[in-house]
Amino acid sequence: MKFEEAQRELERIVQQLESGQADLDDAIGLWERGEELYRVCAEKLDSAQGKIEELGRRVEAVRPAEPA
Amino acid sequence: MAKVEAAQYGDRKVYSVSAFNRGVADWLSRLPTVWVEGEVTELRRQERWASVFFTLKDPADGACLSASMPRTQFDALRLDLADGERVHVYGRPELFEARGDFRFRALSIERFGLGDHLAALERLKRKLATEGLFERRRPLPRFPRRIGLVTGNDAAAKRDFLTAATTRFPPARIVTAETYVQGPRAAQAIVEAIGGLCELDDVDVIVLARGGGSFEDLLPFSDERLVRAVASCRVPIVSAVGHEQDTPLTDLAADHRASTPSLAARLVVPDADELRERLEQTRERLRRAPLLTVERKRARLEAAHGRLRALSPSATLERGYAVVRHGGRIVRGSGEIERGTRVDVELGRGGFGATVEETRE
Repeated sequence: MKFEEAQRELERIVQQLESGQADLDDAIGLWERGEELYRVCAEKLDSAQGKIEELGRRVEAVRPAEPA
Repeated sequence: MAKVEAAQYGDRKVYSVSAFNRGVADWLSRLPTVWVEGEVTELRRQERWASVFFTLKDPADGACLSASMPRTQFDALRLDLADGERVHVYGRPELFEARGDFRFRALSIERFGLGDHLAALERLKRKLATEGLFERRRPLPRFPRRIGLVTGNDAAAKRDFLTAATTRFPPARIVTAETYVQGPRAAQAIVEAIGGLCELDDVDVIVLARGGGSFEDLLPFSDERLVRAVASCRVPIVSAVGHEQDTPLTDLAADHRASTPSLAARLVVPDADELRERLEQTRERLRRAPLLTVERKRARLEAAHGRLRALSPSATLERGYAVVRHGGRIVRGSGEIERGTRVDVELGRGGFGATVEETRE
């Protein structure tokens, strides 16, 4: 699942829950799904951030010397 | 008017060469005495000649007029004329009968004075302005492949420009055309220098650099030929002709002006240090951009998550509410159950089974 899809679904669930229309059973199911989506998204962000930071360190290592 | 003899061949009237020349000379001699302005060239004076000979040249289109003046009169003027100097000559047309040569017989010569120069300059300025020659303002290339520099040989202006340009932008490529920058031959020489530089395909801009000078020194830079050449040049021209009050017309026709050659260099080459700094800044932004994206997305995610947690049913149960189920379905009203019905109660922490004792409406 793509990050953006998960994020959109999470926000839809929040809206649905906030509207108070859902049955309690459904609400619990939605809530559980929401927590799952949050976990997926957070992991994706953590992994992206790790990659970016790693790449940044590699680029920094090959930075050209300042010309005299 | 003298009678010109002609021989008669049948009904054809035929003149001898001598008679024809005399006739034309006679006609010419009746033309009025006038002032003619031009540049003196090919001045020939010899002690054994009765006359001094020279050619008057029109600086605008190069038209020529042969002229002569009795040597004693010429010497008495003590003009000490140099080749290319502008003069006003008072005289009349004359035919040298023996050779059929037409020439202007000078009675007096006056060197073109400062006032004449100013008046002529003002006239020329108005004329060229009317033609729209002073309206070109083409943008300069940001990174010229090659810069054409027109300057005097060994001039301080040249050194100043080269130093300023290469200090500011070390990889600058400059092709220099050395030429006269003052005197009667300067205007044409500069026109030729510009033309030569224009023939080089990779020359993207031309700089005219000349240090300050007197009004007369800078006159070539107001020469009509040069002004026209500048206005019609293939590439933009930066004029860096030193001057204090009077603006040479070349300055007006050029695309850009600089008050010194060093300032001209600032116009035509970028500042390498500035470029490097900007590159570093851009790189820093590039480096930060992805993390910024992650941070924004995280903030949005956390906001959604915060709302989700506020809605969590367990949070509600935590506050003291309980969920009553019967046969797996949530009981919402007392009508759904009756005395003795087994129900399951869920609490914030844990739950229990129970039997209904009584119901209320």
